[in-house]
Amino acid sequence: MRKFVEAAALAAGLAALTTAAWGSSNGSSKIDSPASNASAVVKCGKTRSIGLMAPFTGPAASIGINQVHWANYYRSTYNKTHKTKIKFVNEDTMLGSANGTAEAVKGAQALGSNAKVLGVVGPAGSNEVKATTGALKGAGLGWVSGSATNTTITTDGVRKGYFFRTVPPDSSQSKSVSGYIVKTLKLKRVYIIDDQEAYSTGLADEVQGQLKAKGVSVGRDGVSQQQSDFSAIINKIPRNTQLVYLPWQLPPKGKAFGQQMKTLGRANVKLMGSDGLFDPLFSGLGSNVYDSFFPVNPADKRVKAFKKLHGGNSELFGAPSYVATQVVAGAIDRACKNGTATRAEVRKQIKKTNILVKTSLLGLPIKFNKDGDMVKRPFGIYHSVKGVFVRVA
Amino acid sequence: MGRTRLCDRFPPLNWSLFFGELVSGLTLGSIYALIALGYTMVYGILKLLNFAHGDVYMVGAFLGFFVLQWLGGPLTPEVNGWLAIALMFAVAMLGCGALGVGIERFAYRPLRNAPRIAPLISALGVSIFLQNTALLLWGPQFRDYDTFDLIGVKSYSIGKNFFISNLQILAIAASIGLMIVLALLVSRTRVGKAMRATSFDRDAAEMMGISVDRVIAFTFFVGSALAAAGGVMFGIVFGQIYSLMGFTAGLKGFTAAVVGGIGSIPGAMLGGFLIGLAEAFSTGYLPGGSTYANLYVFALLIAMFLIRPSGLLGSPAIQKV
Repeated sequence: MRKFVEAAALAAGLAALTTAAWGSSNGSSKIDSPASNASAVVKCGKTRSIGLMAPFTGPAASIGINQVHWANYYRSTYNKTHKTKIKFVNEDTMLGSANGTAEAVKGAQALGSNAKVLGVVGPAGSNEVKATTGALKGAGLGWVSGSATNTTITTDGVRKGYFFRTVPPDSSQSKSVSGYIVKTLKLKRVYIIDDQEAYSTGLADEVQGQLKAKGVSVGRDGVSQQQSDFSAIINKIPRNTQLVYLPWQLPPKGKAFGQQMKTLGRANVKLMGSDGLFDPLFSGLGSNVYDSFFPVNPADKRVKAFKKLHGGNSELFGAPSYVATQVVAGAIDRACKNGTATRAEVRKQIKKTNILVKTSLLGLPIKFNKDGDMVKRPFGIYHSVKGVFVRVA
Repeated sequence: MGRTRLCDRFPPLNWSLFFGELVSGLTLGSIYALIALGYTMVYGILKLLNFAHGDVYMVGAFLGFFVLQWLGGPLTPEVNGWLAIALMFAVAMLGCGALGVGIERFAYRPLRNAPRIAPLISALGVSIFLQNTALLLWGPQFRDYDTFDLIGVKSYSIGKNFFISNLQILAIAASIGLMIVLALLVSRTRVGKAMRATSFDRDAAEMMGISVDRVIAFTFFVGSALAAAGGVMFGIVFGQIYSLMGFTAGLKGFTAAVVGGIGSIPGAMLGGFLIGLAEAFSTGYLPGGSTYANLYVFALLIAMFLIRPSGLLGSPAIQKV
């Protein structure tokens, strides 16, 4: 009897395995292998799928939402003006969460396995770009970030031909900032407070090094992005400090810092933010505020329309994600001219991107060099005049 | 060569920094103390670590914000700025008090006789539920209280070194006031006596005719209302609130309650101020202070446990053998 039961179980098991094998060879599997998708020819059809990797939730969600809003803004304008439609496949990277970059990697793998995805917008952080390289590159996807500014992620050669960005690297920004502080403002005592994230510490290190090399006395500290009480660190800033440099990513934090500086009798100290603080919340602090940013024109009709749609907030930190979406969508359109496309063709087209200055939201032409950086990437210096940033250098 | 005095070995004290950190520490500590009181009251009565308490604090901050918006916002308030602040406190405290009672009724009361791990898991569940509901309803963005526009922030200086703002004075004074009211409530009123009796021996209190369920619900009401006051105070002093603000603040409040001796009301107040001061002074004086302030704060917690496991004002638990 026992032998009969064992034989029956074995037979049932074999039958199940055979059925499963038959099913997988004949049925259509939804999830394909990323490697096979890398060279697969995709019928373009009317709807084109783009992966959108951003921190939809998690500690950096407040800035992630700016990027998502701007990317969606491009999608909606594109869909209104084109016969073909863009569809986002969203992947939440949870930037800054306890899992580190694991969520971003999971998202990248999911996009790689989705045969319909031809290109990716994002991810937001430089560390995420590094972490997702294996998954995205392995799947043959080209990806364009609107905020990863670490200098080496394009120059190390690891992502050459796959990764592109629509923001200038830290090296461009730091030169503009340190140059303005020394040559124009002629300051001698500067205090730098980073926000302990890769973007911020990288930029702070570069500015600190350049200022010190130019003979400026530089103090350095860091605060967590989760912190709202800055009084303890403000007390620590020497009284004779002339400027505090804040390479931060959250404008509300910049505003809170400026307000607490005033509360503690430091209203006269100049504040300089980075691109992450280029926002009315920061400029509204007063005429002691400066910032560095790519030359977006706040009077551009797209910026005005976006602002109207989002309750008067221009969320300019996310503007490069609009351009990143524009780059990927344009590349897919060009690759799809004959009705089909491969991911390799899309990458090739991303590389060939040439958005003229008159149609570029960033106020500069979008054209990539061999590393994936924009060919022209100047940073402007802005000064707050009556609560609005005005370009001064 | 004369002998060097000890005081000569150290650089002169920077009084500006010292006073600055003292005021910062007291301001932050007063908020931690308000949160710690809720932890300690609930633990005192139910022996439950209510991990949802930090999120009640967050809800309180948002209720205060919405009241301010309802009153016309900070730029164009329909009532006097100080009256607006009073209304923000009142609505947030009542709303969160009711929320606390609801949490107790639906998440903890059914588990009162279950193994102690069950309500703890339930508390974590409520915490995640509140966080995600807030994210869903109010989004991940920071919300500005803009107190600068509402009441006009003034900075007072005493001599060259000592600066304190009207907001810092408000925070410290209001929290001390609330703590005095709570101390009087617990020590001088009938309901306070019932709370103490329930905390001492729940079964005996029930046999003496005390409605334990009502006392526990009242404790949740008061604890949650104090957390809400802390949330509104945070918004007023530091300007911004967001959906995930409850996690870290709750952790610090819990640490304050443990340092002071969990279950002890004066201990929670003391612990709150100590944690606030430790955070401010470590930022000001210790190497990499602002970066590692939390490291120093939690090192203090560990040291506290090693030296005095029951906390500063806690009494060691006596077990019947």
